[in-house]
Amino acid sequence: MLRNYFKIALRYLSKNKLYSFINIFGLAIGIASFVLIMLYINYEQSYDKFEGSENIYRVYMDYLEGDTFIPGDAQTYNLSGPTLKSEFPEVLDYVRFFYFEKMTFQLDERIFEQPLGSLVDPSYFNIFNYPLLKGEKEKVLSQPYSIVLSKSFAQKLFGNESPLQKTISAFRDGKEAVLTVTGVMDDIPKNAHYRNTFLISYETEKTWTDWGSKAHELNWNANNYYTFIKLDPNTNADVLRQKIIESDIEEDTEEQHNIEPIEDIHLYSNKPYEVSANGSITRVKFLMAIAFIILILSWLNYVNLSVTKSMERAKETGIRKVSGAHKSQLIIQSLFESILLNLIAIMLSLLFVVIVLPLYNGITGKGLNLQLGSLSAFLPYFLFILFGMVAAGLYPALLLSSYSPIKALKGKIQTSSQGLAIRKGLIVAQFLATIVLLIGTIVVTKQISFLESQPIGTDINQVIALKGEVVTTKPDSLLINEYKVLEEELKKLPFVEKIAIAQSYPGDSFDNLSSNRGILLPNGIKQDDKLFYTYHVQPDYFDLVDIEFLAGGTFLPSSNFDGKQVVVNETFLKNMGISSYDEILNKTVGFWGENEWRVTGVIKDYYHFGLKSPLLPMVIRYERDVNNILIKLDASAASVAGFESSIAQIKSEWTKVFPKSTFNYTFLDQKFEAQYQEDKSFGAAFQVFTLLAILIAAMGLFGLTSYTVVQRKKEIGIRKVNGATIPQVLTLLNKDFVKWIGVAFVIAVPISWYVMSQWLEGFAYRTTLSWWVFALAGISALLIALLTVSWQSFNAAVANPVESLRDE
Amino acid sequence: MLLQLRNVFKWVQQGGQRIFLLKDINLEVAEGEFISIMGPSGSGKSTLLNVIGMLDTFDEGEYDFLSESVHTLKEKYRSNLYKEYIGFVFQSYHLLDDLTVEENLEMPLLYKKIKGSERKALVADMLDRFNIVGKKDLFPTQLSGGQQQLVGVARALIGKPKLILADEPTGNLNSQQSEEIMQLFKKLNEEEGVTIIQVTHSEKNAEYGSRIINLLDGRKI
Repeated sequence: MLRNYFKIALRYLSKNKLYSFINIFGLAIGIASFVLIMLYINYEQSYDKFEGSENIYRVYMDYLEGDTFIPGDAQTYNLSGPTLKSEFPEVLDYVRFFYFEKMTFQLDERIFEQPLGSLVDPSYFNIFNYPLLKGEKEKVLSQPYSIVLSKSFAQKLFGNESPLQKTISAFRDGKEAVLTVTGVMDDIPKNAHYRNTFLISYETEKTWTDWGSKAHELNWNANNYYTFIKLDPNTNADVLRQKIIESDIEEDTEEQHNIEPIEDIHLYSNKPYEVSANGSITRVKFLMAIAFIILILSWLNYVNLSVTKSMERAKETGIRKVSGAHKSQLIIQSLFESILLNLIAIMLSLLFVVIVLPLYNGITGKGLNLQLGSLSAFLPYFLFILFGMVAAGLYPALLLSSYSPIKALKGKIQTSSQGLAIRKGLIVAQFLATIVLLIGTIVVTKQISFLESQPIGTDINQVIALKGEVVTTKPDSLLINEYKVLEEELKKLPFVEKIAIAQSYPGDSFDNLSSNRGILLPNGIKQDDKLFYTYHVQPDYFDLVDIEFLAGGTFLPSSNFDGKQVVVNETFLKNMGISSYDEILNKTVGFWGENEWRVTGVIKDYYHFGLKSPLLPMVIRYERDVNNILIKLDASAASVAGFESSIAQIKSEWTKVFPKSTFNYTFLDQKFEAQYQEDKSFGAAFQVFTLLAILIAAMGLFGLTSYTVVQRKKEIGIRKVNGATIPQVLTLLNKDFVKWIGVAFVIAVPISWYVMSQWLEGFAYRTTLSWWVFALAGISALLIALLTVSWQSFNAAVANPVESLRDE
Repeated sequence: MLLQLRNVFKWVQQGGQRIFLLKDINLEVAEGEFISIMGPSGSGKSTLLNVIGMLDTFDEGEYDFLSESVHTLKEKYRSNLYKEYIGFVFQSYHLLDDLTVEENLEMPLLYKKIKGSERKALVADMLDRFNIVGKKDLFPTQLSGGQQQLVGVARALIGKPKLILADEPTGNLNSQQSEEIMQLFKKLNEEEGVTIIQVTHSEKNAEYGSRIINLLDGRKI
């Protein structure tokens, strides 16, 4: 019996090629989109999961803003961990990290930079249950000057030799430390927010640099450490959180400690000083909604087509009934067909996924794959697909089997008014989903172009930042002089327009800014609860990045002044309640235990981190030190060839001055744009999936019209014989669709308005939801639908009526 | 006695008025009869046939089939009854276009849950009997009208029914094909004792039967 069903179903599918193609292809696209999005979402949700990770929490700071505490820095004090452990029995252990974005290493004559590593407490492996390949977890980090390497870093350094007990030099701001390799750990998985490639024992901090012993003393002054704690499995984390907040371990009224599960960091945390750029739960939710919309859209499509098609199959059903088929047998047969069709679609969709995956990984920047291991996580979705498959097959099956045989045989099946209402409802739902997605795409695109087109208050085109680590034992003062020499040499190069040294610059990572509270203003008021951010630069910086002065100017040459100069911005003035420039210009402010910082200028606000974060109150200090060399290149370096020769000359000057060093450079504008990367790929994903959704809906409509037209062939013939013109017939055939789109549009507008407003909330600066966004989406949907429908209805309208009336 | 209709009425309500499709029909059919129902268009011939075939219901009266009271039976038993004992032949053949001749013949057996080997034997037997073995793998559209109707009759017979109901079986055929089909009916009736009730417009075809029932406006005359 099943073999018979199978044979007949296959034959039916191959005979009705258009119908089968539209159905299978539509479903396959729907399922493939669903699988792709779910792969991404699964991956995003898989961050920082390891054995015991459910009991690991990160400690972070809340800051007082007005009268409420808001999430502040992701970094804490070196006292935070020890204090929490001693005061709360629920805290079993803690681990502190001091994070290096990159570090310079030397092995024999090789000097190179290695990204991402930390100074870390010996308790690391007690909390992060990652595999240690060589060495003992309890001992590897217990002695100062020990280093644990990741597998690939060890490979890079020592090839296949055993790295244990070998030594390697590391340089921190030029200071060498000779480290002994005590262990090798497995590479930390990509879906972890903190991916160390080397771990140096925490005790090393004390003697590595000149200021090390001071920094190493337990204190509540410098929150530069990530702290993770391990809780007793029976702890109620919310209760503990409350206890931590109430106990105020730091005894500071302006800030408090808080905790968050490590598993939540990637999707829920977006604080200043995160280790790496995190994902976003909003994006995940949006994508999940899109995934379900597309999948359901393809099922609606399927149901609608099958129902329409089932009327064509009424005669067949009648014959089968008269030949003795029982209703349940007809339902099973119909379901069997629909499941077969779905299975073909699923197989096709998996093929799509496999083909598209490399491209998709390129867009999302993730290493997604269809591993069997991840299939268990897919089980609920798989069951959902299965459920939808049966549900979508059931309605046409029930409908088909319910036809009375006599009517079915006479071909007199007409959709009941109820059935018609359901089909209209399905079409409206399809258009609704399409219009909502269209509006979403337009808003996302509009927001991204808004972000990119806003003036950022600074000009960073054609600016590069040179930064290399110099391996030397010279004191800082000598190094500064060598930098001066280099600066002078570089200035002589024809394509160098401007040059300046700066610790940070627009678009740089948060790490290089320091957040502070407590400033003494010239009016004698001490502002203790207002945050401000600082970094240091040299006088030419403002001119180079074209930041405008509203009052005063850049720092005076240091020979005239003994350092201690600052420039502040508009937002700083506003936040500190200073209304006129005279109140502060050429006056002094106090912070960091120094009361003689002279304010030489007030700059116009610029966006240090792009428009995703609000304007920051800035205090930019003057300091002569060794740091990024910013170079503004002239137009001759704009071309690829011009740039390559320029950078080669710059590098040769650099190597002349610093023979033992590493060299690298960054384009400021590229780094700045990179901040929008996640939003751009989200926008791209949104566009692609919207297009696919439209394609599915259009295919469905195409299929639907082809049957409507067949059904109304006789009517069209009669009308034409009685004098209807082609435009009149077209109007007749198309006006229903226009009406349905209208209904869908009216429902779609408030839904999308609400949802997209929510999304825009996530941005500090946002575009408006203009009326034309909605109009554009509505008109696009209408045009797409009309084009699709007219393709078929036009043929019907121009057909010779004699043809359509003949077979009566 | 194969079946008996007593005072059967069927009507539809139209604008507050009853339009009678069948009016006080009394009919007895004995096993082995060959009956022709005649009458002008709209006289209720097909309706009567459908009522006899249990494809359609009636509003008043009684209907016994093999001493079961059809009018009191539940839908499920009724359909079991006609599946078991009745075969249908249609004017427009009503073969499934997607199935081959062989598969069309096999279809009713599938619904009777007959085993594969037995199905094969029955189908082969039928193909043989109707001389259409060479056409078994063709699709209906590849056959002439007469051949299609031959398949239609074969399909009606394959379940070994006691009664064949034929609704204008030769309506779409030319005279030579008609002749062949009617000869076939006659042979089935005479040699195998199959009871046949046919609806026909043709006096000539009606004469193949043993009895003629004339209908006018739903009433037997």
